[in-house]
Amino acid sequence: MNYKDYIRWERMPTTWCPGCAIGTIFKQLTFALADKGLRQEELVLVSGIGCSGRAAGYFNVDSVHATHGRPIAVAEGIKRANDRLKVIVFSGDGDLVGIGGNHLLHASRRDVDLTVICVNNGIYGMTGGQMAPTTPVGLKTLTSPFGNSYQPLNIQGIITANKRHWFARTSTYHLPGLQKALRGALDWKGFAFIEVMAFCIENSGRRIGFRNGYEMLLKLKQDYKIPLNPEAPLKENELGVMKNDGQTS
Amino acid sequence: MKTLIMGNEAVACGALRAGMTFFAAYPITPASEIMHVLAEKENEIAFVHAEDEIASIHMAIGASLAGRKAMTSTSGPGMSLKQEGIGLAQMMEVPLVIVDVQRVGPSTGMPTLPSQGDIIQAAHGSHGDYTAIVLYPSSVEDCYRYTIEAFNAAEESRSPVILLLDGFLAHLSETVDLENLPVSLKARTLLPLGQGRRHFTGLLARDGIPRTKDSEYYREWYARVKNKVLQAAQNYRFYDYLKNDQAETLIIAYGITHRVVLPLRHEYSLFKPVTMFPILDKEIRAAADAHKKIVVVEMNDGQYRGEVQKLLRQEVLSIPVLGGSISLNEIRQRLHEL
Repeated sequence: MNYKDYIRWERMPTTWCPGCAIGTIFKQLTFALADKGLRQEELVLVSGIGCSGRAAGYFNVDSVHATHGRPIAVAEGIKRANDRLKVIVFSGDGDLVGIGGNHLLHASRRDVDLTVICVNNGIYGMTGGQMAPTTPVGLKTLTSPFGNSYQPLNIQGIITANKRHWFARTSTYHLPGLQKALRGALDWKGFAFIEVMAFCIENSGRRIGFRNGYEMLLKLKQDYKIPLNPEAPLKENELGVMKNDGQTS
Repeated sequence: MKTLIMGNEAVACGALRAGMTFFAAYPITPASEIMHVLAEKENEIAFVHAEDEIASIHMAIGASLAGRKAMTSTSGPGMSLKQEGIGLAQMMEVPLVIVDVQRVGPSTGMPTLPSQGDIIQAAHGSHGDYTAIVLYPSSVEDCYRYTIEAFNAAEESRSPVILLLDGFLAHLSETVDLENLPVSLKARTLLPLGQGRRHFTGLLARDGIPRTKDSEYYREWYARVKNKVLQAAQNYRFYDYLKNDQAETLIIAYGITHRVVLPLRHEYSLFKPVTMFPILDKEIRAAADAHKKIVVVEMNDGQYRGEVQKLLRQEVLSIPVLGGSISLNEIRQRLHEL
């Protein structure tokens, strides 16, 4: 398979703004799918609402664009109805851990066999740039004009609280790590969650002094490190994988 | 073989007979027995006790897309939460059955007492315009029969069909012989996921491509979908009309209320709609034409009365039975006072 086979070319160009981070993740996923040789007939892409939520419609496979926060629930129904399908959820942080947080909590607890890719740009981009549950402390947004005063949600903590888990944090700057995470998640039997650190230039970055997407990309390079010891639990600024097959204590 | 079962159990048995192989729900009084029966069938069907009402309907949507006949069940408070999924299933044209066992609302209200307060919600609960098929049986045997018809209607109309019960009917036990009941089943109408390149979306879309600023296409799409549901609904016009030639008054009652007013058939004509929506226009008009007065007796403040009044364009009287208790004597007295 060629990565181009997974893209619905007649839908190009995408709705995403110039400088957006989502396209990178989208394309990296098509590379990973091609690498695994997954046929279109055994794949289903599900996404929710938001910029990342538009991704489902750009894949050249059967896909579902669900309501806000519900892609994991729809994906769980699909997977339980037909176990032969590889079901991938591609959506944003507001969708998956904000409004859809309850489904994330419980689908991960039930260890449903899904690959969940969360584009974490720390903002509600499509609606103009409001504070998300993942927005860093102090960040000015439309709904936190004096700076966000809440701690961002610790997604890694939620996922790895389950005894059996697979969690990766990666970023759109660290492409080899992103590709490795996607392949690892596709191979994992059970609930696999990838938090891809991303950014939104148009509805967040410009308000806080960034001039273009490239500057935001370099900020990811600065902010996130790959730890020397891959076995240690990830700190909040570290990229890598945390997994437990449920047998190891 | 005759068995003694309650309305909720008959719904579960009917769903299995209809070929349902996916069920997701969240516990709620007075609907939980449907879950209890189906939980024991975990080897035959996919059963999920979901984290909430919203998850359960969205799982059912996913399962239906993936090729299974799917159902979820709830009561009023859960029905309010499921409205999001009902809208999605309408937009994506997904066959699905939603059971709403009504209790007294609003909000948590009177959880163990029956009501018929979700009539309007069943037809118009989700935002935007859509056409819903809503069925409401009134005996345990009919719970079984119309659960199967709900699945058939869902397949034929490619839409979410709502089966209403009330807490009274759901917990009413009657002797029934379900195995020997003749039923006909509709096959699946939706090709399952895994065909290669279809896109299902809650956005207005043409052939999987969003058309979110195309007003003209919206009108075309809306007319097609409305017509599709109305056409399918033609095959699901269920009612029971007991005409009394001496009577000047026609009583319209449905669900458990019909059972309660049944002894009044010697004084009044009785019309029981089983298909609540789309409203049985021809049948109700014909029955109304033969009577001077039309009264709707229902366990809400005139919800269906409003629908009948809109249909007939004449005054329709209402006897609301509120607060979860119902008595024939009280209804008889209020009929005399009209």
